[in-house]
Amino acid sequence: MSVGVDRTLIWLSARQLFAKRRALIALGLSLIPMVVALVFRMLVSDARGSGGDFLIGLARDLVIGALLPLTAVLFGTTAFGGDIEDGTLLYLLLKPVARWRVVLWKYVVAVVCTAAVMVPATLLPWLVVRGPDLPIQVPLSLLAGLAVGSALYCAGFLALGAWTRRALVVGLLYVVTIEMVLSRNLTGVKAISAREFALAISQKLLGNSAALVDKPVTTATVWTMGTLMLVVGVGLTIWKVRAYEAAERL
Amino acid sequence: MTAIELRRASRWYGNVVAVNDVSCALGPGITGLLGPNGAGKTTVLHMMAGLLQPSAGEVLIDGQAAATDSSIYRRLTLVPERESAYGFLTGREFVRMSARLQRLPDAEEAAARAIRLVELEGAQDRKIATYSKGMRQRIKVAAALVHQPDVVLLDEPFNGMDPRQRLHMMGVLREEAARGRVIVISSHILEELNDLADNVLVMIAGRLAASGHYRAIRRLMTDRPHTFMIRSSDDRRLAAALLADASVVGVELSGNGNGGGGIVVRTSERSTLTHHLPRAARDAGIRLLEIRPTDESLESVFSYLVER
Repeated sequence: MSVGVDRTLIWLSARQLFAKRRALIALGLSLIPMVVALVFRMLVSDARGSGGDFLIGLARDLVIGALLPLTAVLFGTTAFGGDIEDGTLLYLLLKPVARWRVVLWKYVVAVVCTAAVMVPATLLPWLVVRGPDLPIQVPLSLLAGLAVGSALYCAGFLALGAWTRRALVVGLLYVVTIEMVLSRNLTGVKAISAREFALAISQKLLGNSAALVDKPVTTATVWTMGTLMLVVGVGLTIWKVRAYEAAERL
Repeated sequence: MTAIELRRASRWYGNVVAVNDVSCALGPGITGLLGPNGAGKTTVLHMMAGLLQPSAGEVLIDGQAAATDSSIYRRLTLVPERESAYGFLTGREFVRMSARLQRLPDAEEAAARAIRLVELEGAQDRKIATYSKGMRQRIKVAAALVHQPDVVLLDEPFNGMDPRQRLHMMGVLREEAARGRVIVISSHILEELNDLADNVLVMIAGRLAASGHYRAIRRLMTDRPHTFMIRSSDDRRLAAALLADASVVGVELSGNGNGGGGIVVRTSERSTLTHHLPRAARDAGIRLLEIRPTDESLESVFSYLVER
């Protein structure tokens, strides 16, 4: 397989994800935590001293809890949903390129773009409130969890984009009901929550230096259930795209 | 020699039959696929392109099933009907992307050549979102021809093109056909295929209703009974005058027949009537107020072909 083909698929996928004002939305999402941190620093007299608790709370509730799934919904559902909705999928299917390869690169690009938005969302507020209790290991641990979360969320939302034309709505409903409400309150749901997995990975790397989550799911659960979610999500997308037949709507 | 063959190919979606038992064999040159909207033209093209599996029968490209693997797209291309293209890309980026996905050694040069072919050099660095409908069609054709495939399938390619662009595109397709390529063009307008398609397949309601040279199909469509509604200053006298003409097979008076209501004239030869009518009216001192064909819609023409 030619490197040029892979590079073209990556280039096209990235251009597609950031088209139609999505670049502006992503930029806005990435800057929200910094704005909150600036407000915190202006209002709280001992901002440097209490920065640790603030940053951990911000990461748990805003970055991992809301911005990560929202960004993943945005990019994950667009990766294929956009092509199907606009009818541009035909231009990829009519090329001598294996369909699974198209899926794979679209998935990788969606994950990288989601994780990339999380970098300023984590590092900028850290720069604003950092003090002696907040070494660089703290944001790096958070970013590791966010990377795992990006990979899992995007696998699910990619499949959603390939299987339904209302992927964005269904994805948002999932984020609000499962991730924002049920996984925080029902123990059983934690075992299938990408948010809980991201928190557990970050907590594991943070060790005792910060308490991100009281009872993180076990590492074994993260790897087994996470791998299952990833394989099912990407597998379902490959299955759907390989069997795709051009109906009149294409 | 590259050839497309449909062997009793059918395609249905649930209970809806889109293409019904179509057999044909196409070789190098331009073939027109003619039919009203919903006749199954797009489904046939998608089956030829390997994007749809036939529900029954076979669709073969050079003896191989069309929907086998993606390597077929080195030799075959389709220009879809929908205007959609990547609006966030420039025309040049879109065509170059096609060249790269075809693994052409010099994608830049191939893209430049394809864009020159459709005369879009002036707009190649503009976003496709800013293109007119005709320009989008042309950039889609450029992207499809960038790797010079043997089989080119075009779904309503002239939609949105102005007459000059249309003539130019016809010239491009003729040149491609002269190089031995198999070109299939779908259209719902017979005149679009004039002087372009060597062979025309007429599809109606999913079936192949007629096939042959353009002129033979044209003759089939024009040499049929026609019906005209004519209003004049004296319908009753005009009706009597027209009945003297051998080409008129029937006249009916509408309304009270004293003028204003009009007459419905059925003729076996349209051209004879259109010559005879003004002369007959002038000789009888009758003023013609309105002449209107009542069965010239494409659907009525196709219905006639089906009933034959």
